[in-house]
Amino acid sequence: MKQISEVSWEIPPSFKPGMRVPARIYASKTLLESMDSGVFDQVTNVACLPGIVRCAYAMADAHWGYGFPIGGVAAFDTEKGVISPGGVGFDVNCGMRLIRTNLRVSEVQPRIRELVDLIYSLVPVGVGARSAQGFADSQIGDITSLGVRWCAEHDLAWDDDPEHVEEGGYIKGADITKVSREAIRRGINQFGTLGSGNHYLEIQVVDPERYLDPDLAKEFGIVHEDQVMVMIHCGSRGFGHQICTDYLRNFETGMRRFGIQVRDRDLACLPFSSKEGKDYYSAMVCAANYAFVNRQIIVNKVREAFERTFHKDAEALDMHLIYDVCHNIAKVERHSYDGSTMDLVVHRKGATRSFGPGHPDVPRPYRSVGQPVIIGGSMETGSYLLVGTQKAMEETFGSTAHGSGRTMSRTAAKRSVRGNELQKRMLQHGIYVKAATMDGLAEEAGMAYKDISQVVETMHRAGISKKVVALRPIGNIKG
Amino acid sequence: MPFRFLPDVALADVAFEASGTSLEGLFEACALGLSDVMVDPRTVKAKEKRTLRISSEDTDRLLYDFLTELIIIKDVDSTLFKSYQVKLGKDSKSLVCVAAGEKIDRERHGLRNDAKAVTMHMFGIRHSGRAWNATIVLDI
Repeated sequence: MKQISEVSWEIPPSFKPGMRVPARIYASKTLLESMDSGVFDQVTNVACLPGIVRCAYAMADAHWGYGFPIGGVAAFDTEKGVISPGGVGFDVNCGMRLIRTNLRVSEVQPRIRELVDLIYSLVPVGVGARSAQGFADSQIGDITSLGVRWCAEHDLAWDDDPEHVEEGGYIKGADITKVSREAIRRGINQFGTLGSGNHYLEIQVVDPERYLDPDLAKEFGIVHEDQVMVMIHCGSRGFGHQICTDYLRNFETGMRRFGIQVRDRDLACLPFSSKEGKDYYSAMVCAANYAFVNRQIIVNKVREAFERTFHKDAEALDMHLIYDVCHNIAKVERHSYDGSTMDLVVHRKGATRSFGPGHPDVPRPYRSVGQPVIIGGSMETGSYLLVGTQKAMEETFGSTAHGSGRTMSRTAAKRSVRGNELQKRMLQHGIYVKAATMDGLAEEAGMAYKDISQVVETMHRAGISKKVVALRPIGNIKG
Repeated sequence: MPFRFLPDVALADVAFEASGTSLEGLFEACALGLSDVMVDPRTVKAKEKRTLRISSEDTDRLLYDFLTELIIIKDVDSTLFKSYQVKLGKDSKSLVCVAAGEKIDRERHGLRNDAKAVTMHMFGIRHSGRAWNATIVLDI
């Protein structure tokens, strides 16, 4: 492995037969040494896929995944390259949403139990959670075509919400006829539900002791050192999970026909230009738009809970969306590569888009500073807001890390700490947690994750995203 | 229990190894492992019996489709099961399963993780003598 910079490393194509491009890993020396070996194996497997361009990437939060590592990025030629459901993941458009408030921590902390309990009662969480939203099957085509735009047309979003969502609130190219009946049945009753695993809804406060760039923060409406925020982490629920399941199955069969061989069944892929590839893309886009709507409906409930708790309109509380980013996605994006500008299919699996200043896809209010990048940490250690950079455009097809990355399995975490002990410990540290299950809470303990500050620092030093503000939790709902 | 969790296989998810002395026993063990990931089975009552009929192109796929169907039922009908009786067809490409369980009750059930999907990672049925084994990695 060759060191490229203080925080980047490259594995050459000679490392493994079939590698078409090098594998690039962003990590400090400490993070690199603690990365599980599966990351190196998987990122070099990705480098073997047909039509991959420049590099297969693993970000600083990378850990073992299925086929692709989590924290993986790969871009493919739209003509000669492939699309891979495993390069997106089962939870299509799992992502992060950040909402600001104009409340100070001194106003929220005394009422945190009341607020968190109310949100918990409004947002269904955990196994088999069902929506109170009540959409009809006949609406799902429109909803998953237009995403947050559909919400805005149906009084389920504020007028300025869609422009603060990646791709303006919906990705173009959805086709509900490419989605199975099972996926629709799984998804129709799950709009506005959080799910479980590492999904959460968190009340946070600006943490200037860890990091605050006041000038940059001001661009996102963050103007106080003790300002309260809300962060949401969830995805496309059973709808997206089933779409990935369906197409992974189809792709395995299809690969035999196209004579494509991969090093891992979870890397199943087909030419992006093939009928099967296009069908998956159209279905996957439906799931991505579903996830945007899912997070939107949750935000509506969060606004309602703040209104009821603080007896003020959400508008008066300045509860505007800062941004919503996907971190499990494949998208057709225009990038500079090999001396020209071309469309590429960029897969980000546990990685975030990080478009720099001036890019036309960055919402107008943020265009001079870059796209907001939301990096969610473990529920004990806090999170970060960053911005995208020009260097990310040049080096990683506008991509950066997505979170802290696990270092300990769920089973091992449960053996190390009991959920109720963790809940008490977090309360002592000023974090009130409401969890659907105590086992699930233990699995998400901070010790099971990498140090998020190290991950963020690595990406900041690499120059592919830039720190804006650190956020620390004061209330958490764990699915 | 006819399954054991594998703490070192899937960091962000859940993996278990299931075993049986027959192929049908293995299918039942895999289903019990999946149920155990989602709920403490001791808290589920066998109030409702449901008959599932599934066929696939081969036995590996049949197991994959069977477990996927249980995940679909969890989302669509909010129903979890605690026991399974599997009868395989002669060619082991189809099955009839009688599953016993009930609708999710958030107050009474010891709910755990919401399984999103069965992954292909390490997936496959292994057979040695009278022992049937399979490794199942669930996306959580």
